[in-house]
Amino acid sequence: MTEFLHTPGSGKDLVIGQSGPMRQLQRQLARERSARLEAEAIAERGLRDLYESQRWLELLQRITDGANKARDVRSSLEMTVQEVCVHMGWDFGNAFLTCEETGQAVGCDCWFAAHPDMLFAFVEASRIARFSPGSGLPGRVLRDAQPHWIDDVRTDGNFLRRDVATDCALSSACAFPIFYGDQVVAILEFFSRKTLLEHDALVTVMAQIGIQLGRVVERERAQQALLYDALHDNLTGLGNRVLLAERSSAAFQRLPNDRNGLVALVIDLDGFKAVNDRYGHQVGDALLVEVASRLRSCAADFEVSASLGVRHETNIARVGGDEFVLLIEGAVSDEALSALATDVHRRIQSPYAIVSDGAGIGASIGIARSNATHEDFGQVHRDADLAMYAAKARGRGTTVSFTEDLGQAIRSRAQLERELREAIRHKQFTLHFQPIIDFRNECRVCGFEALVRWQHPDRGLLSPDEFMPAAEDSGLCIFIDDWVLEAACTAIGRLHGDNEAEDLPFVSINVTPKQFLQPHFVARVREVLMMSGVAASTVRLEVTEGVAIMDAVRTAQILDEIRAWGVRTSLDDFGTGYSSLSYLQQLPFDSLKIDRSFVTAMTDQRSRNIIKTIVDLARTMDMSVIAEGVETENQHIALMAMGCSMGQGYFYGRPSDATEAFAFIRVDSSLSTITPETVRQAL
Amino acid sequence: MKGIVFNLLEEAVTNAHGAGVWDDLLDAAELDGAYTSLGSYADDEVFALVTQASRRLAISPADVLRWFGRAAMPMLAERYQIFFDGHKSARSFIMSVNDIIHPEVRKLYSGAGCPHFHFQNDADGRLLIGYHSPRQLCQLAHGFIEGASDHFGQTAILEHLSCMSEGHPLCRMAVDWPS
Repeated sequence: MTEFLHTPGSGKDLVIGQSGPMRQLQRQLARERSARLEAEAIAERGLRDLYESQRWLELLQRITDGANKARDVRSSLEMTVQEVCVHMGWDFGNAFLTCEETGQAVGCDCWFAAHPDMLFAFVEASRIARFSPGSGLPGRVLRDAQPHWIDDVRTDGNFLRRDVATDCALSSACAFPIFYGDQVVAILEFFSRKTLLEHDALVTVMAQIGIQLGRVVERERAQQALLYDALHDNLTGLGNRVLLAERSSAAFQRLPNDRNGLVALVIDLDGFKAVNDRYGHQVGDALLVEVASRLRSCAADFEVSASLGVRHETNIARVGGDEFVLLIEGAVSDEALSALATDVHRRIQSPYAIVSDGAGIGASIGIARSNATHEDFGQVHRDADLAMYAAKARGRGTTVSFTEDLGQAIRSRAQLERELREAIRHKQFTLHFQPIIDFRNECRVCGFEALVRWQHPDRGLLSPDEFMPAAEDSGLCIFIDDWVLEAACTAIGRLHGDNEAEDLPFVSINVTPKQFLQPHFVARVREVLMMSGVAASTVRLEVTEGVAIMDAVRTAQILDEIRAWGVRTSLDDFGTGYSSLSYLQQLPFDSLKIDRSFVTAMTDQRSRNIIKTIVDLARTMDMSVIAEGVETENQHIALMAMGCSMGQGYFYGRPSDATEAFAFIRVDSSLSTITPETVRQAL
Repeated sequence: MKGIVFNLLEEAVTNAHGAGVWDDLLDAAELDGAYTSLGSYADDEVFALVTQASRRLAISPADVLRWFGRAAMPMLAERYQIFFDGHKSARSFIMSVNDIIHPEVRKLYSGAGCPHFHFQNDADGRLLIGYHSPRQLCQLAHGFIEGASDHFGQTAILEHLSCMSEGHPLCRMAVDWPS
């Protein structure tokens, strides 16, 4: 029997015998087909498993390497939470150390947030939080010595940060113990806005990570035991912290009523970490031994030279990795102290035989004298420490003596930091926009630079100079930087509205080195572009050479990726830093911004030559040039004549709020009127 | 383009129009049609098949892509049920695609380029989807969204706000599921 099967649309009629060879062929085909599907499924499963296990191994390898290199437990915890968050796509990771005295889990300010701006409140509630055994998520891990998972933080009965986690839209969490022996010494906790799926591979890998970090704890504890058991630092042979505490407290007791007669010098090495990183710990240790020996010579020479019939006793202690304290008992003149500091700088900066090329080692010195306000030596030491930090902040190889003004300045800085946290919490920042003029297009406004301002509740509008240094020092700048990026794009997006013209004004946004090198920076920029709906070509990111110097290869990758979407890039403050040609050549920039200092100094022929050179250089590299700080008509005319493409400065408009700035999109076109006569006068 | 897309297209065409039509499309597009899910094939091949299907069925290429996306979803649900488990609505499922598609595709083919979707809610509670892909297959995404909505027993209302094919930097769609 034969049937005719019409296959729709094929245009061919097939004759199929019910039990004939055709049917056999069809069955063979079906078998082949299902075998292929099964083979594909098996291969896909195998590839997937292989990929998964490779990725886990890579994570473990990175953490093991990091733990081996880590200077201390905290830096290895910080590295681990970041690695795990990035690997798993989790939003927040945080570490706790177990306090030996109280038995609590104590947040050690080692955390990572993929989008810090959205998690500010939760970071604040977690980074230095304390949990007793059994209480909250870290407490449960501490009590049970095993991982814990929370599927939904909003409904979990024993999760203490529920409200703030809910506000930050976090939904699930997990936490893992880190063991030293059978004791839980640290806890890592992670949070995600998505559901965390508990799976075996993760638990196994986290246990491995726990073992690696446990070893760092073991290493640090062993070092601490050596340091604290003996009175001397076994590496350098100098007194240690314990010995310093004993000697200094005895010396303080011997002081007269006015408490004069004791001086503390805190000496902190500059550039030591670089030597350690570059040559390894062995060389680093050898260098410390050599430094200790040089300090001994300084102290010995000082005792001889300063002791004009007055008794002086000096003690040197190594109180930290690369930090030393020189204690001087007896009346010392300012001149003698200053000479001593100079001698220390000179000797520390001299070349070291163990590192072939100049290691760049120096010292930052803080000096404090005891006085009637001190109640114990700890306070003198603290003052010297503060002075040392002030010296560090001034640059390498400097000395600062503690004064009441300095103490006041440090207290003000602490106050400023508290206010900054409030400002972030209450969104007290605002943006001002300064117009940028296009010389090539009738001097019309072609864009704006977004500049952050702080609307301080008591002090009024503050410029970044007044708060950004404090924000950078305290790590708060990442919250502000991120806000600026988002607010600037939103503002320009609002200005453009539905307008799709080709020459819409752009917004230029300053990106700090720290922000630029955040692991999620590229993704964040894309997200902000998407959310604001602003055309990428109307966004310019300004970076300084500092970024390139930190990591030129990565910087080039990031710039390339961002520019691929049409975002423009600008090199800010050109001419003030390294201004290296090799950076310029390697890094993809659309424009250079000539630093205002050259424009201000344009009456000087040398400044004009520099500007001309930069303009010519930019032209050969196909970049446009923006002159900053244009304040007078003469400067304007001269810059145009030299071939600058754009200008920015008070001459065209001061920074003002969005409404005011965006109102003047067109500038008096008489700006573009240049005659040979005006050029001759200006030049 | 990944082989799995061709496999799904073949299955969708065969289910709807018979095996002969798939053969005809391959002939018309001058393709040999041996596709394995483990392989990668030129994007042009999928565009050629869509063009031929558009001619054959007398509907626009955009309609072919939308039809295909919608028809492919039940097949995906059958093959990769695990990705649908744990979702109660199309919105929740769609918002998880970056976490599904990316790791999955990259696991199988290192260096594979994937579309990336951005999600945001607009003032009316609609889901805004931003999509950036050099292939500009937003109509396929449209079909997938409809197919996913079918899967969860919902009806999606889509609006294309902007499209890369019209020179915009991104394709943006707004999706609403009226209850």
